[in-house]
Amino acid sequence: MQCADLITYLSDYIDNDLPVELTREAEEHLATCHNCKVVLDTTRHTVTLLKEHGQVAIKPVRRKAMFAQLETAFLKQPNQPG
Amino acid sequence: MADDQHLIAALRQRDTDAFAALFNQYADKLYRVAFNILKNDADAECVVQDSFLKLIEKLDGFEERSSLGTWLYRVATNLSIDRIRKARPTASLADDFSDDAPIMPAVFIDWAHTPEQWLSEDEKHRVLSAAISQLPPKLHTTFILREIEGLSTAETASVLNASTGAVKVQLHRARLQLREYLSTYFSERVNH
Ligand SMILES: [Zn+2]
Repeated sequence: MQCADLITYLSDYIDNDLPVELTREAEEHLATCHNCKVVLDTTRHTVTLLKEHGQVAIKPVRRKAMFAQLETAFLKQPNQPG
Repeated sequence: MADDQHLIAALRQRDTDAFAALFNQYADKLYRVAFNILKNDADAECVVQDSFLKLIEKLDGFEERSSLGTWLYRVATNLSIDRIRKARPTASLADDFSDDAPIMPAVFIDWAHTPEQWLSEDEKHRVLSAAISQLPPKLHTTFILREIEGLSTAETASVLNASTGAVKVQLHRARLQLREYLSTYFSERVNH
């Protein structure tokens, strides 16, 4: 396997979506190719950092106000059969 | 799916407990998607509110084959993208053409095994926000749904009305573009 192939298969490898034979070839390549190993490790780390960074939630006071408004709208909407 | 049918039936009866359950299950999820696309608290709250209002409006005629969750994610994603397009009409048009550009890694600094060289927490926050914001819209939404929300490839495909193959390709490109962005940032930090 060449570097370009490894990069093509990188996401499938990370997601354990690669067939057994290709997984073996990818692992052989990663064992000897420093750059591809760096790309693999830094890609995984990138995902971890952004996953943590993205964990946001509505502020409790705004959440309460939003729910109250939506509940009013929910109860106002006419209930038609169907 | 059977749970969804019960929930929809209860919602049609204007059961407030059912509405509270729906809100509690999805409000923060939709907010997370909207906030990560828009990077703005007030806009993200508007998207959550509008998504639920749209569901309330459609409730009596709701005949979606997909689940309530998928439907809500789809509405919130589309409303967020609409807001981005309105705010930056020319920028996002140009972006749409660049999301199939092949990405070959060019920076090989191994910052995964060294302590992260952030100047401060604010700096970390700013760089990670900038990294995700520079992605073209399709890659951006795919990355958020798959990695930040943790939806499966099939669920993401359903939310985005795309094939699972397209979702995989977009996620792959998004990961590599984000990696390149952060690697460039760290290589500049190391050299200065
Ligand atoms: Zn290689």
